Amino acid sequence: MATRAKGLIALAALLVVGAAGQAGQTTQPRAAAPPRRIVSLVPALTEMLFAIGAGPQVVAVSSYDEFPPEVKKLPRVGALLDPDSERILALRPDLVILYGSQSEVQTQFARAGIQAYVYRHGGITTVLDTIRELGAATAHPTEAARVIRDIQTRLDAVRAAVKGRARPRVLLVFERQPRTLRDLYVSGGEGFLHEMLEIAGGQNVFADVARESVQPSTETLLARAPEVIVEVHTSGMLEAREVADEQNVWSALSSIPAVRNKRVRILTADYLVVPGPRLAQATEAFAQAIHGVRPQ
Amino acid sequence: MNHAVLLDRTHATRPIRTRLTMTLAVFGSLAVVTCLLAPLVGSTHISLARAFDRSIPFSENVDAQIFFVARLPRVMAGALVGATLAAAGVVFQAMLRNPLATPFTLGVSAGASLAAMLAIIFGATLTIGPFSAVPMASFAGATMATGIVYWLATASGRAMSTSVLLLAGVTLNSFFSALIMFAQYLADFAQVYRAARWLMGDLDVGGFDPIVGAVPFVVAAFALFALLPSSLNLLSVGADAAAARGVDVARAQRLAFFSASLATSAAVSLAGPIGFIGIVVPHLVRLLVGVDHRIVLPASALFGAAFLVACDLVARTVIAPVEIPVGVVTALIGGPFFLWLLVRKG
Amino acid sequence: MLTLNAQDITYGYRRHGSRDAGAGEDFALRGVSAAIPRGSLTGLLGPNGCGKTTLLKLLSGVLQPEQGTVTLDGQPLSGLPRRAIARRLAVVPQETHPAFDYTVMEMVLMGRHPHLGPFQLEGPADLAIAREALASTGTAHLAERPYMTLSGGEKQRVVIAGALAQAPDVLLLDEPTASLDLGYQLEVASLLSHLNRERSVTMVLATHDLNLAASLCDSLVLLRQGRVLAHGPTTEVLTAAMVQQLYGVDAEVSFHERAGHVTVVPLSTGTPERGSLRARR
Repeated sequence: MATRAKGLIALAALLVVGAAGQAGQTTQPRAAAPPRRIVSLVPALTEMLFAIGAGPQVVAVSSYDEFPPEVKKLPRVGALLDPDSERILALRPDLVILYGSQSEVQTQFARAGIQAYVYRHGGITTVLDTIRELGAATAHPTEAARVIRDIQTRLDAVRAAVKGRARPRVLLVFERQPRTLRDLYVSGGEGFLHEMLEIAGGQNVFADVARESVQPSTETLLARAPEVIVEVHTSGMLEAREVADEQNVWSALSSIPAVRNKRVRILTADYLVVPGPRLAQATEAFAQAIHGVRPQ
Repeated sequence: MNHAVLLDRTHATRPIRTRLTMTLAVFGSLAVVTCLLAPLVGSTHISLARAFDRSIPFSENVDAQIFFVARLPRVMAGALVGATLAAAGVVFQAMLRNPLATPFTLGVSAGASLAAMLAIIFGATLTIGPFSAVPMASFAGATMATGIVYWLATASGRAMSTSVLLLAGVTLNSFFSALIMFAQYLADFAQVYRAARWLMGDLDVGGFDPIVGAVPFVVAAFALFALLPSSLNLLSVGADAAAARGVDVARAQRLAFFSASLATSAAVSLAGPIGFIGIVVPHLVRLLVGVDHRIVLPASALFGAAFLVACDLVARTVIAPVEIPVGVVTALIGGPFFLWLLVRKG
Repeated sequence: MLTLNAQDITYGYRRHGSRDAGAGEDFALRGVSAAIPRGSLTGLLGPNGCGKTTLLKLLSGVLQPEQGTVTLDGQPLSGLPRRAIARRLAVVPQETHPAFDYTVMEMVLMGRHPHLGPFQLEGPADLAIAREALASTGTAHLAERPYMTLSGGEKQRVVIAGALAQAPDVLLLDEPTASLDLGYQLEVASLLSHLNRERSVTMVLATHDLNLAASLCDSLVLLRQGRVLAHGPTTEVLTAAMVQQLYGVDAEVSFHERAGHVTVVPLSTGTPERGSLRARR
């Protein structure tokens, strides 16, 4: 590769910058025909593809894809850090869905004349925009609009269900070491998790921190004193007994209102941290955890 | 200000007994004062009166919990780890006859890091008493690395050779680092992030349990350290010279190796591999009190405790509520310090 | 009265050179015996590789012979605790490179180690002995200087002072003047001679310097390829024939009036074969 690569990477950098500026755009838009062979490296976007009816066109997914069940039969082509461009090219796709940081493979696909859709991370609006853009790129605009409407309706239902209720201060934990309180990752005041939390009628205790993820120290946790703690774990990791164990871990910090009043909720499901079509479902789960309400 | 002048100030005509007592008094006070003041400072303002007010039930007393659950264990962990890593650094430098040796030179921390990584990747949850999964795994990994290095250094049946030890340790370091990279490659994103975070060190132990777990090992290591200093002086002049002066060289080297490895294992299991303590503190202390290990070893332990507690104070208050990993703070201080040392000598 | 007696020592034949070899270090000895009388100044003489450093280490107890015994005042070294040996026997190595910046006084005080208890620190008595040792080697004025800043000759004298601080009956020295220039060589030589006479310290000196041995030692042990070639008073043992056998060099060995001792003047190589790796004669 050597010196040729340098030139190409420079080109790719330009593309990425361009792509970042108007992210989500496809490179080298082709005329007319919708893609028939789609490779997706981003699980959330794979879900979107299936939700808008482009599932049958998906020929390969990333190593971490798990939903919907149809993807289990599909070949895997790597993920964020290790995309297998050879395999992808061998599958002759006409649309590849990539992360923005995967500039090298982007360049490769551009050279091969393959359309690429670059995933952009952001809040709920970004998620809905992505669904719409994918709908346009795969010639399923109507279904995409329907999916978006469904999500918005469900989110509105959640808003209605929690309207008028007092909004407790909530700590949303999405990662920590098992059985200890070390290495906590919680939602900051930005990003889709934060927005879902707010819709579900909670007040993020770290709303003032302009980051998606915060690693609070023990002191900070005690100082912020959340009234409800919601922990999300991807499913398959916790049995009932383990749930109780994990809740008990918080008992060392008994001055936290959520701990004292036994409002530590441990949620286990695979859709809770995916910025995709099921985020309405996740938001409903949050509302359930915080207010005990199920929207109609 | 040159080298000789600094030494003259402390050596002059005073016998070692006086110098030792004075050094221990000064550095001991520094350590005590730092440890007493550190819990009073933090990212949150608390009322000490409230914190110590017994009439308020503990589970309702936020100030008390911040002081006793969040800050105090953290300061204690800092003092423990700082003292341990600094002392281990002194011992390794003397034993390997190399002032650039650190507690991590022989691969102990690489073994701990690899094991911690694997525990994180496989989602280990086993907890035994005060020991939780990742610390237990890292201690096991550190012990295994110690054993491998020792076996490599004594494989041909002769007494431990420090040059072979160094070679074995450096090799093991590279090997384990490669395995760590490989494990990171195979792990998923979140796990890689968590493992990377662990590698930066973290004193926020969140309770006294982890400290209680580490204390027996640290105490054992220091008990062994107490037997070493005069042997270290003689060993650092030359192994044969030490033998000719009555030192059982093989035994002293084994003792130094195992006690320093034990100390490092305990410290790294508690708080992750916090770098620079094991090399900056001994050098700083030698600049101040000379190179006699009977003074340098205890002084480094005391200064190491104060140093790490101070670094952690900076780490947790400077850009609150976000914290800088303490290993980054020690590196930011350690790096320039070494540049300065280099410039001075040159 | 024999202070040190090596009887029929064999060492190094079973090993395969697995030890770290220092500069000029040599290995194997076979059937070596050397009797060192009290108060003597004995030289171990021979070319590089003849085994003199090894013999010195065996005499000091740092190495253990595979066969044979070494006794100190009649007691076998292997039966004595290391500290006990160190209280009576001190070693001056060929080179001393401390890893840290010790002062001269600290270096010399380390010699007190065998006399101190496990946690005992040096007291006034030890300091006095150290100062005296420094004084007797003419280095008292250097006490507070860092060891590494001294000249070669000063360093060597400090190391000797450190050995003297052990208050030994026997002093073993390995090539004490090898890395020194002429002036320092004479300095150290006269110091050793003085110490041997005034303090009756028995000395054993390993060297390849013929003239040093001739000027300093009252008896010699000539070693070649791990065996004793000759052993006895200098005047008897150091002959032209012996020099020929030892080094393969033609030399004139004669008593020098002004110097007051035997001198060796090399003349020519004599034979085509040279060096320590010679075919057996």
